[in-house]
Amino acid sequence: MKVNHVGALTRAVRNVSRRKMRALLVVIALGFSMAIMISIPAGIIANQEATQSMTENFSNTMSNMQEEINKTATLIECQTSSGRGMSSSTPSDMPFGMPPSGFGQEEVFVNETVVEEIRSIEGVKDVVPFLEKSSNETTSETINGPGGRTFTINRPLYTITGLPLNSSFIDSYSVLPTNITTGRNLREGDSGVVLMSLNLTEYFGVVIGDKVKINGESFTLVGVYDSPNQGRMETRTAYMNLSDAQTVTGQTGNVSRLDVYAENVTSVDGIADIIEAAYSELYVTTYKDRLTNLENMQEMYTQTLTNAESTLDQTQTVATQEIGIAVVATSLIVFFVMLYTVRERTKEIGTFKAIGFSNWNVMSQFMLEGVLMSVMAGIIGIAIGYIAAPIFSSLLLPHINLFGGSSRTRFQPTFGSANPESLTSGAAATLNPQLILLAFGAALLLGAIGSLYPAWRAAKIKPAEAMRYE
Amino acid sequence: MSESVLKTEKLTKIFTMGKRKISALSGVNLQVNKGEFIAIMGPSGSGKTTLLNVLGCLDTPTDGMMTLNGIDVTKLSEKKLYSIRRNEIGFIFQTFNLFPYLNARENVELPMECTKKSKSERGKRSRELLEMVGLSGREEHRPHRLSAGEQQRVAIARALANNPAIVLADEPTGNLDTENKHEIVRLLGRLNINQGTTIIMVTHDSQIASHTERILFLSDGKITKEKQGLHLVKKKLMCPYCGSRIQLSDARCPSCKKRL
Repeated sequence: MKVNHVGALTRAVRNVSRRKMRALLVVIALGFSMAIMISIPAGIIANQEATQSMTENFSNTMSNMQEEINKTATLIECQTSSGRGMSSSTPSDMPFGMPPSGFGQEEVFVNETVVEEIRSIEGVKDVVPFLEKSSNETTSETINGPGGRTFTINRPLYTITGLPLNSSFIDSYSVLPTNITTGRNLREGDSGVVLMSLNLTEYFGVVIGDKVKINGESFTLVGVYDSPNQGRMETRTAYMNLSDAQTVTGQTGNVSRLDVYAENVTSVDGIADIIEAAYSELYVTTYKDRLTNLENMQEMYTQTLTNAESTLDQTQTVATQEIGIAVVATSLIVFFVMLYTVRERTKEIGTFKAIGFSNWNVMSQFMLEGVLMSVMAGIIGIAIGYIAAPIFSSLLLPHINLFGGSSRTRFQPTFGSANPESLTSGAAATLNPQLILLAFGAALLLGAIGSLYPAWRAAKIKPAEAMRYE
Repeated sequence: MSESVLKTEKLTKIFTMGKRKISALSGVNLQVNKGEFIAIMGPSGSGKTTLLNVLGCLDTPTDGMMTLNGIDVTKLSEKKLYSIRRNEIGFIFQTFNLFPYLNARENVELPMECTKKSKSERGKRSRELLEMVGLSGREEHRPHRLSAGEQQRVAIARALANNPAIVLADEPTGNLDTENKHEIVRLLGRLNINQGTTIIMVTHDSQIASHTERILFLSDGKITKEKQGLHLVKKKLMCPYCGSRIQLSDARCPSCKKRL
């Protein structure tokens, strides 16, 4: 009673290949169905990973910021209105893109005599003055806004930042960029030299040692630093000696920002109050403000994450339904094709029985054909899925809007380095080995399920009746 | 007295079509001895094919008794019937019923697939059989590359694959031209003489039927008449027309030139 399975398989292969056009069409139809079946989970996985990486990015950012706030607890930032949003302690970790200085704001300066006045306040350890001013050169940029809208804005090409290159400041406080990619950082005694952000050197097309014109004055580029992406609008900055900056910006004797360091944390509030009362043009922030900021950010993020998760849930529901449809469609295709095959080959079934094949032999022969077709389709499906998984999943799954209400802010927040556009469903959908294995299993199973009834029908055909069938 | 291979008593088959009952076989009594070559003749609808299907265990009788090698097959389970069909019966069809996607050898090997024979044994047996039916060298040809006569020879080889006790042929010459008709019936005759194969052949061609040794006439589901054929004489290597000596392979009598 033992069937030679190799023989049965050979017969199945020859039978499927006998009607090439039909087999091809069926296999392609099945293949698409299977491709959909595996592309959708791929899309879901991609979305989950994107959400997870967003969460990780954010919590990293948060802990970095927390650390920074702890480290700079004694720092009191005093900025003229033009300096708001450009605080030196936060820019590199700032996850939300903020408009750079000079954008739609009037730049305000104070005379550097305030430095000595503030330094004389009791409890103040040090005061580091900065001059931050927009370059005379401007640029026109198009930025992507919420809901696919774009905005064209004119803004200064870069910011000129000048600070006293005093080694005691440079060594004690993080006043200069730290991530130097080429060349060197600024140091005491530097004059006529400039440290630039990478994006700015790329814009100018200059390398270390080149001369570069800043507001018409010639400077030598000594170092390049990499500024982390701060959202949609990149910050381009040129660092230099304070007096050089005052000269090229025409702000001789003026500063725009003061970093005031208290002797200890307990005196911070007192000093901040005094400064705020004495200098109305200065906007004062302490670690408490920065903590509040952090909390707000956290809240905003939590809201965003909740939105994303609810969309993800919704996506999963849709995905389950779609996979269900694909599964049913696949089984039905196998079912009808095999049912048709059985009808078409009734006489052949009769012959099989007449020469002594058992019901089980006949049934397994037809099931094998169904499974073979479905496995071939599985391979095609994996190939299609490999190429088209992102397309399928983005067509079939609702897009995840990680940022909820789009009109909330004019500048869409960005988490870490993730670009919101890349978080639409399936953008990163790829097949992993588990999914490929799953597809193979599904092909086997659905082929078997789909051909079960037709094969059973074949087995039940009465040989004498089958022989009469033409 | 020869040994009986097949015996039926009051074999009845009634088909129910809606409310109508059609009696295809109404009490067939038949005894087939080992090594006999029998023809069953009769008009259309006389029950020839039904009888052959019942004899071949493709169909079950409504009533009556039938034994094959002494076993009452009417009481056997479906599972035992496969084994009977596989091992005791060889079928030859009017339309050959070869599998178009298998070559000649594979077609002949197919009935052996469900037996204990090894792959090499099956290959050897199928080659021997194809040689016996005169198709040496055509083993790897698929049916569409064979003539109708050649296809029927493959089918005959397939019917013999498991050394059946009885070969049942349903109009084996029905789809063939005159030349091939005689070729096939001569081949069956040779097998009967050389191998001792018991053959029952349904035909409506009296010329073909005359080449067997016993001709049964079926009418309205009953055997109404029985006649002797020429085959018995041929078995003695004599021309049934003029009585001169013949060879089994001769297509015509060497002396009277009549078709054998």
